[in-house]
Amino acid sequence: MEKIRNFSIIAHIDHGKSTLADRILEITGLVGDREKREQYLDRMELEQERGITIKAQTVRIPYRSRNGGDYILNLIDTPGHVDFSYEVSRSLAACEGALLVVDATQGVEAQTLANVYLALDHDLEVIPVLNKIDLPSAEPERVKQEIEEGIGLDCAHAVMVSAKTGLNVDQVLEAIVERLPPPKGDADKPLKALIFDSWYDTYQGVVVLFRIIDGRVRTGQKIMMNSTRAVFEVGSLGVFSPEALAVKELGPGEVGFLTASIKDLSDAHVGDTITEPGRPTPEPFPGFKTIKPMVFCGLYPVEPAEYEPLKMALEKLQLNDAAFSYEPETSQALGFGFRCGFLGLLHMEIIQERLEREFQAKLIATAPSVVYRVTTVKGEVFEIDNPSKMPDVTKIAELAEPWVKMEIHVPGEYVGAVLKLCEEKRGIQKDMRYLTATRVIITYELPFAEIVFDFFDKLKSVTRGYASMDYEVTEFRGSDLVKLDILINGVTVDAMSTIVHRTGAERMGRKLALRLKRTIPRQLFEVVIQAAIGNRIIARERNAPMRKDVTAKCYGGDITRKRKLLEKQKEGKRRMKRMGNIELPQEAFLAALKAGDDE
Amino acid sequence: MLLYIHVPFCRRKCSYCAFYSKVPEGDDMGLWERALTAEAETLSRRHGRPRVETVYMGGGTPSLLPAWLMERVAGLLRRCFDIAPGAEFSIEANPDSVDSWGLRDLLSLGVNRLSLGVQSLDDNDLKVLGRPHTASQALSAFEAARMAGFRNISLDLMWGLPGQRVATWLRQLRMVTRDLRPEHVSCYALTREPGAPLAERLDSGELTLPDENEQSRIFVYGAEHLEAHGYLHYEISNFARMGFHCRHNTGYWEGRDYLGLGPSAVSTVAGRRWENPRDLAAWAEEALAGRAGETAEELSPATRAREMVMLSLRTSRGLSYKAYRALTGRNFAEQHATLLKGLRQHGLVRMTRDGVRLSRGGMLVSNLILERLMGEA
Repeated sequence: MEKIRNFSIIAHIDHGKSTLADRILEITGLVGDREKREQYLDRMELEQERGITIKAQTVRIPYRSRNGGDYILNLIDTPGHVDFSYEVSRSLAACEGALLVVDATQGVEAQTLANVYLALDHDLEVIPVLNKIDLPSAEPERVKQEIEEGIGLDCAHAVMVSAKTGLNVDQVLEAIVERLPPPKGDADKPLKALIFDSWYDTYQGVVVLFRIIDGRVRTGQKIMMNSTRAVFEVGSLGVFSPEALAVKELGPGEVGFLTASIKDLSDAHVGDTITEPGRPTPEPFPGFKTIKPMVFCGLYPVEPAEYEPLKMALEKLQLNDAAFSYEPETSQALGFGFRCGFLGLLHMEIIQERLEREFQAKLIATAPSVVYRVTTVKGEVFEIDNPSKMPDVTKIAELAEPWVKMEIHVPGEYVGAVLKLCEEKRGIQKDMRYLTATRVIITYELPFAEIVFDFFDKLKSVTRGYASMDYEVTEFRGSDLVKLDILINGVTVDAMSTIVHRTGAERMGRKLALRLKRTIPRQLFEVVIQAAIGNRIIARERNAPMRKDVTAKCYGGDITRKRKLLEKQKEGKRRMKRMGNIELPQEAFLAALKAGDDE
Repeated sequence: MLLYIHVPFCRRKCSYCAFYSKVPEGDDMGLWERALTAEAETLSRRHGRPRVETVYMGGGTPSLLPAWLMERVAGLLRRCFDIAPGAEFSIEANPDSVDSWGLRDLLSLGVNRLSLGVQSLDDNDLKVLGRPHTASQALSAFEAARMAGFRNISLDLMWGLPGQRVATWLRQLRMVTRDLRPEHVSCYALTREPGAPLAERLDSGELTLPDENEQSRIFVYGAEHLEAHGYLHYEISNFARMGFHCRHNTGYWEGRDYLGLGPSAVSTVAGRRWENPRDLAAWAEEALAGRAGETAEELSPATRAREMVMLSLRTSRGLSYKAYRALTGRNFAEQHATLLKGLRQHGLVRMTRDGVRLSRGGMLVSNLILERLMGEA
């Protein structure tokens, strides 16, 4: 146990976490050049493309230190995005230490800070690592100062590396061995292991990633999940090094995976404790937190015949992602589809992309919405995840919406722009402090709905990409909200309804109608777009029908070509959703997201 | 059976044209004749000297063929095909390549319909189009054809040209209906053919087309003018005095079988379609080797149904529900009830118990209508 080091890497997107992990695997000889893939740890295709780690990964690294000791380093990778903060906290709980990787050309970002605080809460030893010091724009002294003043972490022994070139990566390994504490635990005590990730594999059932605190696990052993009391027999046991490697037994401090014919992901919740049926541990972890989706959108197949395949794809996805929810819903405009719930916007985008990529599902997505809490005049309280489900205004006593607490890190010169943006979004300023002379942390309370729309893009554009942010949903607050409806050729399109604050409703209605006019192409028939609050029309736009689109000649030699042209034209409109005789492109259903861009 | 012969020669390439043609050089014409002979013989053998109701020589510029060659082609056709008595025999001619002697020769060879590529009676338009003739040449060519004895003459005109307006278009049509009185008029919307020189000049902004509303008026007012003067609007781009519709082209829209000879020509016989190489030498090689029409595409029932919709709705007769049901087993009106209702409400189609056809407004946006009707055909 003295020779085990469990650690994770905390870093902002693009600060070089995956590159550093790759270098470590190379230097320790775990991954040769031949099998080297860029960013080895990001296994899913999507993760590689976006450069974001979605699910936790782990790798066991044998390492001989300079003093000649043979160590086992377990690198437990953490997801790097605010939507997945719960998973981050579980991964950190499985470690004794962490590397804080900061881009020496950039500095500390909001999400990094949030994760460092998480790590310190878990009593982790944190080693600061400044990356990209080979770049001429690197300012290691300034960034060190930021870390010391902002986080209170001593940077006297920060390791200066270039993950890209491999410079000083060996020093990182030495620092892990020297400065991180070994795990503590008792092999004779009842089994106590933390589940920090689990996923569904078609062939093996649920695969569980765990960290043992006390006791041992062997193949064939009976184990019990603390929360459900369900008992399983360990089928296979192993470690990732980096390929799966079977082992017979794992003891305290060790990290590995197991399968045990577990059919249902809900029997292996992230955060739960694995113990023994005969003598359960008296001190299990506090238990898992059910993660509640906060952002919802409708997902509909373009072709009605694709409903069943889509349903199967959603089922499969949920097997791997307990934070994602779906249930059938029907829209007058879009037919049969599903209301899907996500942790946040990134989570939503990732799921949509995975559906399209891995399951070849052609989708129409509606604009995202948050959950609203309705109190009726009769005193009933319920939540709605779809604006079209809002009851008639006469029946509502109060509408409440979720609020978030948001921290934004930004260079001093952009403070004004950020404050202006937050005020526009109905924000309430709570705090503003200087991390260093040039970097500011601004804390705001904001209605979640306001950031679901276009907040991130706006924040990026007003700060030229220099701002970073982190948020958490805090509470529901009553608000003067109204439902904004869109009518196309006189018919309300339920899938386009949104809930907005009364003060901005008319402006939003006008913008939305204009955006729709620009999004919906001119076509065979006239398209009249109206925005309405209740029975009151507040905006009207019109697209005149096309007047001329005709093939002049169609004789014997032209038939195939002209037919194919028409077929191709039709194929190009496959993503259009027919409503009556009007064809609506997918983007029209997302118009609410982009309406702000037309100013 | 319809018979088409492609003559791939032109004096020069017009700026809007995407058909296959080349300026003849060396032994090109001799090669064309030898290969045509081989191809006609191959197809005649394979299809048992089929009966032919219409012959159409197009191009290119068929009127460029010298009389002796024309005579040999006519002989070849009679030898290889059973040409029906009273068959329609059309030839395309350019105003700058006809004279009354040549025209009389054509008549004596059995050619009974002349399609004159006038394109415009306005010299400015002709310059933009890169045509090798002037308006007055067009008028004299028409006179010469009448003098030679042609009783069935068609004029090709183009609309939607850069700089054109309703008034200039109607002025031309008045000359046609008052002074010339041809039996048939084709009015083709200018089509932006990618790769043709005109497309570049339009893309670069050097030339601009009349706006959409003007174009729509040109089409509608023009058609009304022609109908008022006894020319029936029997297909999107075609008008004819009673009894003078082009039987050959009508055959295409009715889905009849056709054989095409010459480079780039297409044939469709009994659900099989093949296209000749679009190059004189490549086509000649294949034809001389006796391999004409060997690799063909089998048209699926769904494709045939889509083509029936696409072609029949070009005509004023429209789509017959009965014919559609015979081909597909389905009820067209039920299949497209919502769309047809919308189209009728907006005056884009006319419906009867037996079928549906496009109104003039519908013809003008026929691509949009066909695309949707064919999508689920």
